[in-house]
Amino acid sequence: MASMEVDEDVAAEATSSSQSVAVESSSQAAGNTSNFTAPTSPAPPAQPATGGGSGSALSDVSPGNSVMASAGTVGSVSVSLHPLVILNISEHWTRQRAQEVTSEVQVLGALIGKQTGRHVEIMNSFELSYDMLDGNIIINREYYTLKEEQYKQVFSDLDLLGWYTTGDTPGPPDLLVHKQICDLLDSPIFLKLNPMARHTDLPVSIYESVLDLVNGVPTLLLVELQYTLATEEAERIGVDHVARMSSHDVQESSIVAENLQAQYSAIKMLASRVRLIAEYVKASQRGEVEFNHEILRQVNALAHRLPVLNSEKFRGEFYNQCNDVALMSYLGTITKCCNTMNRFINRFNLLHERLAMGRRMRGLFF
Amino acid sequence: MASSSTGEGSSKMNQSQIAQRMWEMANNMEYYNAADEIYQYDRKQQQDILQAKPWEKDPHFFKQIKISALALLKMVMHARSGGTLEVMGLMLGKVDGSMMIVMDSFALPVEGTETRVNAQAQAYEYMTAYVEAAKQVGRQENVIGWYHSHPGYGCWLSGIDVSTQMLNQNYQEPFVAIVIDPIRTISSGKVNIGAFRTYPKGYKPPDEGPSEYQTIPLNKIEDFGVHCKQYYSLDISYFKSSLDKKLLDSLWNKYWVNTLSSSSLITNAEYMTRQIFDLSDKLENSETALGRAGLFGLDPQEKKTEDKLSRVTRDSCKTTMEALHGLMAQVVKDRLFNQIPQAQQKGQEPA
Repeated sequence: MASMEVDEDVAAEATSSSQSVAVESSSQAAGNTSNFTAPTSPAPPAQPATGGGSGSALSDVSPGNSVMASAGTVGSVSVSLHPLVILNISEHWTRQRAQEVTSEVQVLGALIGKQTGRHVEIMNSFELSYDMLDGNIIINREYYTLKEEQYKQVFSDLDLLGWYTTGDTPGPPDLLVHKQICDLLDSPIFLKLNPMARHTDLPVSIYESVLDLVNGVPTLLLVELQYTLATEEAERIGVDHVARMSSHDVQESSIVAENLQAQYSAIKMLASRVRLIAEYVKASQRGEVEFNHEILRQVNALAHRLPVLNSEKFRGEFYNQCNDVALMSYLGTITKCCNTMNRFINRFNLLHERLAMGRRMRGLFF
Repeated sequence: MASSSTGEGSSKMNQSQIAQRMWEMANNMEYYNAADEIYQYDRKQQQDILQAKPWEKDPHFFKQIKISALALLKMVMHARSGGTLEVMGLMLGKVDGSMMIVMDSFALPVEGTETRVNAQAQAYEYMTAYVEAAKQVGRQENVIGWYHSHPGYGCWLSGIDVSTQMLNQNYQEPFVAIVIDPIRTISSGKVNIGAFRTYPKGYKPPDEGPSEYQTIPLNKIEDFGVHCKQYYSLDISYFKSSLDKKLLDSLWNKYWVNTLSSSSLITNAEYMTRQIFDLSDKLENSETALGRAGLFGLDPQEKKTEDKLSRVTRDSCKTTMEALHGLMAQVVKDRLFNQIPQAQQKGQEPA
């Protein structure tokens, strides 16, 4: 097993580079399909209209119209989001809707997690209680302090990071709530989930606030942040499990098939994305699609990254790993053989003895 | 959601139906999905059930349990965050006939398992405060059970767990005990979870037949064996809301990258090492037993050694298979990302 530790570095490198290849290929596909004017946008935002229009909206803004900062503003932190938070919000919304049975339901809550330097990791969330005053949402501060006390007892290393709500594009009412959260925290993150979204991308957008000068007045505006989905092995398995289970459990007869199912789905996705890129390149060649040098350069860079890892050292470590596993399976097979032999010998002895006993008994009587 | 998916089949419908669908789509009507009904909380119905207490007459009353996607994920994450320490928490939910339903879970600020019975008192305060706060934001369910983790040694109830659960079933019915093993979850790639209810003291359960075998480390086998007849496990099924389903589907659009790049051989290296050590201990045990049996050659003795060696074999098979699965993933990745030199030379697209 010592070789497995050495192999860790190499394999981790292989993993991360293959992961980035895969991410890039997915981003390429996403960028192409959304037909953005800015071609290099990794995570597809949910509101293309806002993204495209906010540049012009800022010039003729009256505070009631748009709350987005200009399209060129870049966020100051990088965000990784845990799928647990998404499910939390979804459940909160479903529950609220089930109890009120109206279509228009808005839920509000707080986000907690860790922040290290410029990287924010949103790990969990909980609901917040609020009151409506003149149609404006006012957060119940006492309820928040109560909950803060509680979660600090269990998750002592998590801090308040921001807040979430449901709905479509962010508007001035969201800014009002955001200002209230700003009292509790310096620069909170704002997450918006759209439960009614009709497209297939994840309808989650994350924003942070900046103080900008609009017509000479410093106003709070929102900047969209790019986010990645955080990986944690147990979480991935849990999410995979709940995503794939249907109301009736189909029992796979083969354990191998069960295990490879997840890999197969992932590879299917990869294949579809790659196919998309290939189609795009072919269409460009035929002249059906406008020649976009930026995208083509990226595709070229992507293609040149393969093979991902082919050095001598990698080959060596990889074969070591294969040998380790082969050794383990050899051990397993030997154990199985020993067991079978043992049982066989026992039964043979038993049979032999019984026969011998029978003959001796007959010898006694006759 | 429902309206858009049936749009394709509209050509087969008659004019009035088409018109209706178009109107609905134009007006953005959202159908209330029947799958979400489980999220409604009928206080009157629950109180009636609590009054009737149908579980008092039949110790085997609850046979199934439904766990929500959120509760499962929260429990798994919490168990994982404890590392090699056991963690525990409570679950909120309700009862429906002979089925228990778990809607949500939350973690308790207690550590370790040896002081479990005392910890219940300490956790009580936290629990009441939490449930009170939850009611304020629309979560009406009550506490329906507790969960804790057995990191690396499987899902079953230890002696202390059994006594705690029996106490709970006396005073806090309806109550269920759930055990999660986060380490086995990761190593086998499937969620390792079990839901149990204990029988009352002195109750002789009807013979259920052999339950599903699980590998138990040597130092816990005795604890398992002594108590395994005092409780039974419930069938677990899961449910998710329609929004959950939609979100999970769209989550997959980004998440497949993580699936492909996960490397289970590396994540599980430590656990696998421990398993092999455990296997070697078990083999030594069975070897000494074999030696003794060889002298006598009696039937009952044989059965025991056969059992020991067969069990070791099954355990070793399981560990081997997990290692093989991990290697399969690695080989797949290698093939995908490394093996295209010929195609590149020929200037064609990769196969």
